[in-house]
Amino acid sequence: MVEPFKEILVYLDGSEDSVSAAMAAIMLANRLEASLTAIYVVNTRALRDLVSARIFLEFEEQEYQRDIEGDAIRYLNHVKELGQQKGLDVKTIKTSGAVSAEVTKYLQENNIDLLVIGGLSEIRSRRDELLSETDRMLRSAPCPVLVVRDNDEIWDKFEIAPSATRSEK
Amino acid sequence: MTIADVIKKELIKIPVVATTKTGVIEELIDLLVSVRPNLDRDELVSAVLARETLGSTGLVDGIAIPHAKTAAVDSIALVVGIAKEPIEFDSQDGKGSQFFFLVLAPEQESRSYIEVLASIARATNSSYMRRLLAASESADDVLALIFN
Repeated sequence: MVEPFKEILVYLDGSEDSVSAAMAAIMLANRLEASLTAIYVVNTRALRDLVSARIFLEFEEQEYQRDIEGDAIRYLNHVKELGQQKGLDVKTIKTSGAVSAEVTKYLQENNIDLLVIGGLSEIRSRRDELLSETDRMLRSAPCPVLVVRDNDEIWDKFEIAPSATRSEK
Repeated sequence: MTIADVIKKELIKIPVVATTKTGVIEELIDLLVSVRPNLDRDELVSAVLARETLGSTGLVDGIAIPHAKTAAVDSIALVVGIAKEPIEFDSQDGKGSQFFFLVLAPEQESRSYIEVLASIARATNSSYMRRLLAASESADDVLALIFN
């Protein structure tokens, strides 16, 4: 049988929803014998915009960038450990820029065939400028997108999910 | 996270009655504390004024986004205020500020804090939006601008 997805990307942003998405992606990658990459984008675009508008001073830009870089490393390491628990080597990518644009670029350049994201927030505004980053990704991804909802169920399933047992190629 | 995720009807003040920069900040924080009485009013005022001493958050075109990251809040808080007339706020264009978006964030929420601030900047960047803000007479009017 030809598996439909061989290269999976999960988007992490430090939210509980994105960690749940990573758990679901690990289980799915093991089931499909696919590769899994986790990506965290430090939103330096927003930081630069805030400095340009003088909402932030330069020292604030540097301080917040350091904070978020630290979060990125922490969450990527956490997902790598989750993968190890289930016998999967998760590749991790930390990058920076405009979040949805960077994710879309990575999807295109690396022939990713499935993007996994955490739950979308409810539709609160019809204004384009108020779309969340995950909303933007959902709309701009050049590949199928899996939206993971219901954190509790995913966490329960992850607990009992078997480790990888990959077939010989 | 965007302004749409954190804006609350009960945290919108129209009109702002203070006539000074410090007065506006105190008035908006007083509104916040009236809704969330567990917060330390003086600590919040100190945090925002301390940030203002580093550089004014009065921007251009009547927009001001006073903000601070402080352990005195446990979740991101946004208080919106609209004054009838521009108020001196040390703004970049030398004109007064009329539309105030006060944002307070806990220490550990840098990412959400940045996203909320950036979304306010994007939402208020159009002259059309600012005209509608100026015409807003109630909290419901402001909510309609964001959500509709």
